[in-house]
Amino acid sequence: MFRRVVITGLGVVACNGIGKEDFWSACVAGRSGIRGITRFDASPLSSQIAGEIANFDPEALGLTPEECVNMDRGTQFAVAASHLAMKDAGILDALSEEERNNSGVYMGTAIASMENGEKLLVQLMGQDKQPSSDEMSHMIPASLRMTNAPACAVATHHQFHGPCTIIATGCSAGADAIGQAFWAIQEGRTDRILAGGTDSAITYAVMSVFCVLGATSTRNDDPQRASRPYDKDRDGFVMAEGAGVLLLEERDLALARHAHIYAELIAFSSNINAHHMTSLPTDGEPLRQLLLQVLDEAGITPAQLDYINSHGSSTPPNEAAETKAYKAAFGEQAHRIPISSTKSMIGHSQGAASAIEAVATVLTLEHQVIHPTINQELADPSCDLDYVPNVARPATVNVALTHSSGFGGVNSALVLVRPDWIDRQ
Amino acid sequence: MAHKTKRRVVITGLGAITANGIGKDAFWEAISNGISGIKPIQRFSADNLPLQVAGEINTFLANDYIERKLVNRTDRMTHFVFATIQEALQDAGIALAQENPQRVGAVIANTFGGLEYVIEQIQTIYARGPRFVSAYTAIAWLQVANIGQASIRYGIQGYCKTPLNDTAGGLDGLGIAYQAIQRGAADVIITGGCEAPLQPFPLTVLAYTAPCVKGDDPNSYRPFDRRAAGLILAEGAGMCILEDYEHARQRGASIYGEIVGYGQTNDANGFTPPSSSGKQYARSMCLAMQEAGLRTQDIGYFSLDGQAMLPSDAGEADALHRAFSTDVEDLPVSVPRTMIGHSYAAAGVLDTITALQALQHRAIPPTINCEELDPGYGLNLVRDETRPLSQPAVLIGGRGAGGINVVLAVKKV
Repeated sequence: MFRRVVITGLGVVACNGIGKEDFWSACVAGRSGIRGITRFDASPLSSQIAGEIANFDPEALGLTPEECVNMDRGTQFAVAASHLAMKDAGILDALSEEERNNSGVYMGTAIASMENGEKLLVQLMGQDKQPSSDEMSHMIPASLRMTNAPACAVATHHQFHGPCTIIATGCSAGADAIGQAFWAIQEGRTDRILAGGTDSAITYAVMSVFCVLGATSTRNDDPQRASRPYDKDRDGFVMAEGAGVLLLEERDLALARHAHIYAELIAFSSNINAHHMTSLPTDGEPLRQLLLQVLDEAGITPAQLDYINSHGSSTPPNEAAETKAYKAAFGEQAHRIPISSTKSMIGHSQGAASAIEAVATVLTLEHQVIHPTINQELADPSCDLDYVPNVARPATVNVALTHSSGFGGVNSALVLVRPDWIDRQ
Repeated sequence: MAHKTKRRVVITGLGAITANGIGKDAFWEAISNGISGIKPIQRFSADNLPLQVAGEINTFLANDYIERKLVNRTDRMTHFVFATIQEALQDAGIALAQENPQRVGAVIANTFGGLEYVIEQIQTIYARGPRFVSAYTAIAWLQVANIGQASIRYGIQGYCKTPLNDTAGGLDGLGIAYQAIQRGAADVIITGGCEAPLQPFPLTVLAYTAPCVKGDDPNSYRPFDRRAAGLILAEGAGMCILEDYEHARQRGASIYGEIVGYGQTNDANGFTPPSSSGKQYARSMCLAMQEAGLRTQDIGYFSLDGQAMLPSDAGEADALHRAFSTDVEDLPVSVPRTMIGHSYAAAGVLDTITALQALQHRAIPPTINCEELDPGYGLNLVRDETRPLSQPAVLIGGRGAGGINVVLAVKKV
């Protein structure tokens, strides 16, 4: 028999708010965190806007002076979010060695610590002759080769000695990390896991790569209205950075320590499109299959589903396919279920996105308020469901689903419920 | 579709590309005869680098496996993936067209992404401008490209993941896929690891930050030797077909072995190479042994991580003494990887492929280059020549920067 898994701590670093309070009040108010890019000169690019974390102060968020110096930005986001989550759970620095032996870290990233590598590569390109060994040793940060840095750094910060892994499944990475963590606790391999995602990839090279694909919004003169999933005028996703980390805990252990339980995670499913590296089938068929699969795992019917936090990336074909998949999977119920996109406010933070959306979904269950999809101005006939346009809405939400799709074709979905919902059934 | 009782997971097909052999048979032939594939780097001039030898694959032609258009749109790491999947599927005798695509998955570990492709593109962006970048960069570069491309080519629609865990990522991938089949999330998972870091820029970074031995001596990767000074880097890929045991039996597949245990722990010691303390690594060994229900006398050999740096080697020996106590004298250990170099995410999978072939051929593959074994480690190291193997199981260990310790247990069915 599988063990039950609950969420007892939340940490978020998003461009419209750091920490669950600021993030959630911004989301409910429909506040966008998208601005003009400041991290480099973006003027040669077609897309010059992004969701940057402004005024990120790692030390104020619990990082040691050493961590502030040695870690790349994305890793710092992950450690900061994990610190917030442990503090929120009330067990920061409070676990015994045995408990820490049974505590793990699963993090999702899509691009990870690109900034430092890009900087070094450009530095070396500009040199006429190879720097000396001594100079090289100083130029290269020790963490540059460590693509697993975000997970290891979180484990080190909390001295967690259980399983520690990065899952790099593109835009679904965060949800996949949470899903893998869920399974590990369910199966009794570990008691608690800090799970989520992080990415900090707003660099000249990364932006160039997405711009050439025509994948990113060019609404440079109006950044806050650029991410507009389901709206007829959407023209691509808005690049963002950030991190979301949740503390997943075995339910009996959480109950025993009288922890505040936000929600119970009851299902994780995942599949792959097998269609194209950057686009999904227009009929939404793989997503339809995934939605049915995850409801089956969860043992619920579409009629029981109260809310969907969608992938909603503001990409023209994505939202049309998504809408078709909802209708095909949920039938008439698709028109009843409120759907909202967190990306409308914070853009697409790659591997972090689905983890931040999991945090938003948990907060929806906690506060019984659905945050809006902002920038809904011009109706798109191919997107004719209830996307909770522009204004937050109080609602009874017992059962919520969040899903994501990404580069390479991986789709993942999680089903979360109110802490006491299962026992009331 | 979670199953109430855990299903058994077997390996029915293998594919390998390494510096000392392309294809699992050539690989075993070399590895069981102590033949090294370490040579001076040929793909570019390494004169300005602190190291000039590597486990480079020189005779591999991607065009032999995939069409030219796809060769140009994918990185070398993915070329290795296509080639090894093709071999592993053939070896397993499985016709994917007859499988339910939603029950077939892929778990392919990788550490650095498609470096050759992306570095050239970044240089173009900075030298010529953003408009000159290839539209295929994003899909060739990210680690997820490997499962994305594999799913498209083979029509795989099920559980697919991309674990990334420094030098232990490959074993981690095998562990994740094993657990997914165990719980019923898939029936068949193409599982492996690939790495292609032998480019001037990544080699520069690794030469200065990773535990690599410097210089041009092809015999300088010598774990547990008094002169140990680091590992030799390599490229390559290993691929295994993991299958639910009942599924394999029903289709009459021949079975190399079963994955019976997996243990993962973390030293949590920051951005450092594997440490001199084996405390957590010993816990990984015990977790894998317990899950597998194995005793020391069941183990034919322990395939060690052998990073060939003093602290890491001492930590590995410490872990073995903690986990096996005085039995460690009777436990043969080996680092066959000394013949092919360390290919990061591919390494653990290649060690597993070696182990499965060792069980099949009843021979323990040797460690080379360790002429001055440090007796202080107290290890029963198989050196230079194979030894007979009669026991049913092999343990495979892997450690990585950041403190990862992984142990996988495989056993004859």
